[in-house]
Amino acid sequence: MVDIWNTIILEPVLNSLIALTNVLGGSFGLAIIILTVVVRLALFPLTVRQTQSTKAMQTLQPKIQEIQKKYAKNQQKLQQEMMKLYKEAGINPLGCLWPMLIQLPIWIALYQSIMQALGATPESLLSLSQHLYSWAAIGHAIPLNEQFLWLHLSRPDPNLILAILVGGTMWVQQKMVTPPATDPRQRSMTNLTTTMMPLMFGLFTLSFPSGLALYWVVSNIIGIVIQYFVSGGWGYLRAPSVPKPATAPAPAPTQKVILPQKAPTVQPSKMLQQASEESKTIKKASEEKKKGLFGR
Amino acid sequence: MASFLRSKTNILGLILSLVILSLLVVGCSGPTFQGWSGFAEQEGVLYFGGIDGRVFAISLEARSQNLTFPSQGEWVFNIPSVGTPGTICGPACAPATPRASVYATPAVLGDLLCVGIYGGDTGRVVAINRLAPGYNEGVPQRSKGEWTYPTGVNSIGAIVGTPVNVNETLYVGTSDGNLYAIDAVYGEKKWAFDTGGKIWTSPVIDGGVIYISNYQKKLFAVSSVDGSQIWNIELPASIASSPAVSADTIFVGTFDNNLYAIDRATGKERWNFKGGNWFWSTPVVKGDTVYAGCLDNRVYAISASSGQEEWQFVADGPIASTLVTTDSLVLVASEAGNIYMLESGTGNMVRSVDLGSPIMAPLLADNNIVYVHAGNLCVYAVDVQSGQTVWEFCYSNNN
Repeated sequence: MVDIWNTIILEPVLNSLIALTNVLGGSFGLAIIILTVVVRLALFPLTVRQTQSTKAMQTLQPKIQEIQKKYAKNQQKLQQEMMKLYKEAGINPLGCLWPMLIQLPIWIALYQSIMQALGATPESLLSLSQHLYSWAAIGHAIPLNEQFLWLHLSRPDPNLILAILVGGTMWVQQKMVTPPATDPRQRSMTNLTTTMMPLMFGLFTLSFPSGLALYWVVSNIIGIVIQYFVSGGWGYLRAPSVPKPATAPAPAPTQKVILPQKAPTVQPSKMLQQASEESKTIKKASEEKKKGLFGR
Repeated sequence: MASFLRSKTNILGLILSLVILSLLVVGCSGPTFQGWSGFAEQEGVLYFGGIDGRVFAISLEARSQNLTFPSQGEWVFNIPSVGTPGTICGPACAPATPRASVYATPAVLGDLLCVGIYGGDTGRVVAINRLAPGYNEGVPQRSKGEWTYPTGVNSIGAIVGTPVNVNETLYVGTSDGNLYAIDAVYGEKKWAFDTGGKIWTSPVIDGGVIYISNYQKKLFAVSSVDGSQIWNIELPASIASSPAVSADTIFVGTFDNNLYAIDRATGKERWNFKGGNWFWSTPVVKGDTVYAGCLDNRVYAISASSGQEEWQFVADGPIASTLVTTDSLVLVASEAGNIYMLESGTGNMVRSVDLGSPIMAPLLADNNIVYVHAGNLCVYAVDVQSGQTVWEFCYSNNN
């Protein structure tokens, strides 16, 4: 199992980083940034799909609330109806998790790669020898220079700068996609999540190699940019934290697809249609992309 | 929608938290370093740095009789800590006490045992009275001749390469890029030579010239008298092994999988030999043959004059431990835990001994016994003729 992990995940990431470092004149920090951009570009279709899927689901908000109200006392039926609704709208409720899940092995591999590539200890340098490809560019690049800007990439940033950057960018990204909840209990939960996650990552930054934190910052910034352009603005970041009408869906000032205050009066079938149309648009875009990639 | 998003965020949060927590456990332990000190032998006593961060003196006679440790002439010494808490792990999970370890083989000078300390970012040289350590809470006892360099809370770069003692001067390279010459009697710096790159290798001194390599691909020849540079050369890749010196040639292994032969007088390359991985351990020269252990699991015997391969032997694991030679044998240890006894002329295996634990520390051979410091915190004495383990000494925190 360890060998499979090393062969499929760790060694490609590790050797790519070292080769990139060699190409970039010995800057390991720049290599991490380029690798992050490559990873995010590779995940771009999934990220767009996630963003659009989220948008499509927002249009179902009134219908969901209606179902929740109707089957408040029957959880089983509530789940069935919700799933039915998603099916009719052509939305995969777990689809949003994939970009994040796919990045997790890359995080772990990156962490291992940074620790090994920089050869922070004699043991890690010795271990590195067993994971290197026999490319000339690799041998000439070892051992790497761990200095990047003010950072020692194999060690945590002793200042708070990187922690603030990680926490801040993550908070912005989360705020952009998380709608303000109407129910006070849900609102407190949402607030907790959107605050706790960036806070946790900010704290982790104080313990992890700054090279990994650099990946988080760059990845978050790319995520924000994608979110901005795909959603057409800052999303819920600029929305009031508590929506004024308790029953109305949260307004998203820059997201034109969301039906504002009048949403509850819109016919459910119309909303489903709208959500379906959005879902179809995603599928169509995806198919066109596939044709573009493989249809030649 | 809100509840769905909430549950989705919770799932995501749970997964992320689990992954991050597992990473944190690894991250909080910091980069792990244990050490792999070899042995210094003097008057029937073996001195070495333990993997648990202590220095041991074990009597060969007491161990062969399996007496309770510590017996007469034996002791264990806790290394004074170097560095500051949190420098390895970061402020969020600072270890309670900074750790120190020993990679360098200790050097004996009269009644003193000089030990190079590795503390992650920092290092120090400590001189212990080897007959009866007098250190008290990390402070040397001057009346016993003990000293620490640098003194007080100061430190130098971490020490990996073995210090070398010549004419009461200790030469040691450190991670701060300096080669230090320290008065071995008083523990005072005579001079320092800045190589401009991390030194994790040992210096070699011959004819008043010190040969030392660093991780900036450079090999230096430096005067042992005043630390002035005689020459330096830059190799195509960083230098992995400590240099070995024969009559007129220096041999070093590099990270581009080559073993280079360099002219001692001019620093010009004579030949290079390509292996399958790094030549990490120090090559050993005997007659016209260079024996070099490689991390590609092989031992190579190479003609010192021509660079042609004479033979190679395939082991069951990478060879990081510096090998030793006897009259007719080459003794090699692999990371997989095997000791191989090979005919020096042919490379044919005479016998092998499986110790079952990784071996990275240099071997020591004396009177037909090879001493091995293994990764399982045990020292083995193996009879070269029979392949039998004569005795073993396993240390733990209880000892």
